Amino acid sequence: MSQHKFDSNQRYLCFGLGDEEFAVPLLTVREVVAMPETTSMPFMPAYFVGIMNLRGMVISVIDLRQKMQIKPKAESENAVVILEDNGISVGVVVDSVNSVLTVTEQDFAENLAAGDNKNRLSCVTGVCRKDDRLILLIDILKSLTGDDMSIISRSAPRQAA
Amino acid sequence: MTVEGNTVDDFEKEIKQGFLEEATELLSGTEQCFLTLERDPSNRGEIEKLFRLAHNLKGSAKAVGFDELGAFTHELETFLLKFKNQTFELTAPAVTLLLECNDHVNVMVAGLKADLDAKFDSSGLIERIKSYVPAGGAAAPVVSPPASAAPAAPAGPESIEASEPVPAAVAEAFAAQEAVAQAPLFNAAAAEAAADKKIKAKQAAADEQIRVSLARVEKLINYVGEMVILQTVLRAQPQVQENLFLRKTVHQLGKVTKEVQDLSMSLRMVPLKQTFQKMQRIVRDTSSALNKPVEIEVLGENVEVDKTVLEQLGDPLVHLVRNAVDHGIENDMIARVDAGKDPKGKIVLKAFHQSGYLVIEVKDDGAGLNADRLRNIAVQKGIIPATKVLTDKECHHLIFAPGFSTKAEVTEVSGRGVGMDVVRTNIEAMQGEVEIHTETGKGTTFKVILPLTLAIIDGMIVKSDDDRYVIPISHVRESLRPTRESVKNTKELGEILLLRGETLPLLRLSTLLGRKTKPKDVDSMIAVVTTVGDRPFSILVDDIIGQHEVVIKQLGEEVRGVRGFAGTAILGDGRPSLILELGELAKTRGVA
Repeated sequence: MSQHKFDSNQRYLCFGLGDEEFAVPLLTVREVVAMPETTSMPFMPAYFVGIMNLRGMVISVIDLRQKMQIKPKAESENAVVILEDNGISVGVVVDSVNSVLTVTEQDFAENLAAGDNKNRLSCVTGVCRKDDRLILLIDILKSLTGDDMSIISRSAPRQAA
Repeated sequence: MTVEGNTVDDFEKEIKQGFLEEATELLSGTEQCFLTLERDPSNRGEIEKLFRLAHNLKGSAKAVGFDELGAFTHELETFLLKFKNQTFELTAPAVTLLLECNDHVNVMVAGLKADLDAKFDSSGLIERIKSYVPAGGAAAPVVSPPASAAPAAPAGPESIEASEPVPAAVAEAFAAQEAVAQAPLFNAAAAEAAADKKIKAKQAAADEQIRVSLARVEKLINYVGEMVILQTVLRAQPQVQENLFLRKTVHQLGKVTKEVQDLSMSLRMVPLKQTFQKMQRIVRDTSSALNKPVEIEVLGENVEVDKTVLEQLGDPLVHLVRNAVDHGIENDMIARVDAGKDPKGKIVLKAFHQSGYLVIEVKDDGAGLNADRLRNIAVQKGIIPATKVLTDKECHHLIFAPGFSTKAEVTEVSGRGVGMDVVRTNIEAMQGEVEIHTETGKGTTFKVILPLTLAIIDGMIVKSDDDRYVIPISHVRESLRPTRESVKNTKELGEILLLRGETLPLLRLSTLLGRKTKPKDVDSMIAVVTTVGDRPFSILVDDIIGQHEVVIKQLGEEVRGVRGFAGTAILGDGRPSLILELGELAKTRGVA
């Protein structure tokens, strides 16, 4: 995964998954909704929660905690962050929505994820320190269209060519 | 947002694009006019209409700065005037030339749409127009006025020249005034005002229509669907049931909602007219290319169909119609006369609605299909093994096989064996089917049966494990509760359903979907017999919940790679459910 392209003073939405904190660019966030009822979809990996109805639009909902093997917080109430980029909309289940954060160049730490532990952190594009909080910047849509798509198509039934 | 410096450019671009949109709309009817004229050269109304159209187009094209288009339409207008004044007679070669001009204008408009600065070479056609001499030779000598608008000339009073008489003139008066008003000088502002006025008048004449992007219509349909669901939720509230006023209001709201839903759905519907007109042209061109007289009759061109269906319908229809002219109608005119038929072949293109489907028939009065001949060709081409036994009907369907062609040589019109394959593939992609009815000596009818819209289907809602799924009703032949005795379990072939005289593979939906639940007893479940694919099979579901019209929503790009689902539909309680593509699902299990 390439180094996160740093855009000074870009704003991020921070959310919590288990005990860890993540952030996505604010511009890709369409809205945050309460955990909706979902319909499960066959042939999909376990972290694919299902599809939901967002005012007439059908949107896929994924659970990154499952994907990254993060233990969900038991007491917290779930929410779904709807992300939209490049014509793809996807909902991400989060434990909590924390804050909107402006990341400056000083906050931006080296990308610790580069190279190591590919399966778990493939969508982490950067790491940011804010006081004593450590926040992972992630690009969910990229990971969805890239690696995960191949997982999806592998698990899907294929007709004999 | 517009950057300051770009506003003028943007403005100009906008005007140009607006003109092109308008031109496309104006041009949509011209081909039909020419074809009508060929059949009935005395039709004054049509020639007047064409003349006005060419005139309007010329004026607007020059006004927005498309000089080449303006210059060409100017020549065309001059040419048309000769027919209008009956200097020339409207013969078949004349119509052919006019149609070529029409095509050229269409090409220019399409080219400009793609690139506002596109350049075209019209000199060849202009030359032919100018040198056109009617076959009879009786007409008066032609004196073409010089092309006053040189393509290179910048927009100015001259380049607008005769295109606008006095601003007060209305389109109807143009024809009469054109002859006298050769080059009145007036300033550009007045010309622009006139052009503007004319555009407005034209818009009013065009049945008060507006163009709306399909994406916006789809958004509207989405929201309306959501409104219907909210209304259902509201109605189910106990307070509403108790309070008379609330109940009445909600009931009214329900009615209005239904109206709005029907209306929003109808926005996607467009008449077949344009597509059918194109077919008339294709019959004409193919018949003259093959030197085989064929006429076409068109019925039901006002039948409406969903825009997306219409778009995908064009190609298959072209192939079917061309095929009918080329292969359907006999090559030998004498054979036709011997068989007691009109030497001129006849093709009937007919559209109508039948029990919720759109049916389009392409019928020829040719010799009909010869099953044995088709079979022999297929064997020769290695499409089927020589030993294979086929019914007549199966032989007829061989013409849809890729690479199948009855022609020994590839010609301009046919022979590659691609067309009919395209027909079948495209129609099936739209959930439609093609039937062939043929009678030796009498002709062949291709019957294309299509859903009216790809946006709504009648669905059977079924339950499997804890989820609900939608099966398109068109895929369901029947449903029944099987008895224990009627289901045989075999090691090799899995479960088999004995249904009256038939033996059908029985598949469990739960298993097909990869769910790992304990199989339930068959007599507590429901078997749905489906007709999709070549042979029927049955699917075991837990229960049937109901039957509804559902709006199909595409799955997101991220999950589109998953096979077996035609999309999703939002059910009455607001939750999405998957629409099953049973044929596709069953293929994964080696059935169907």
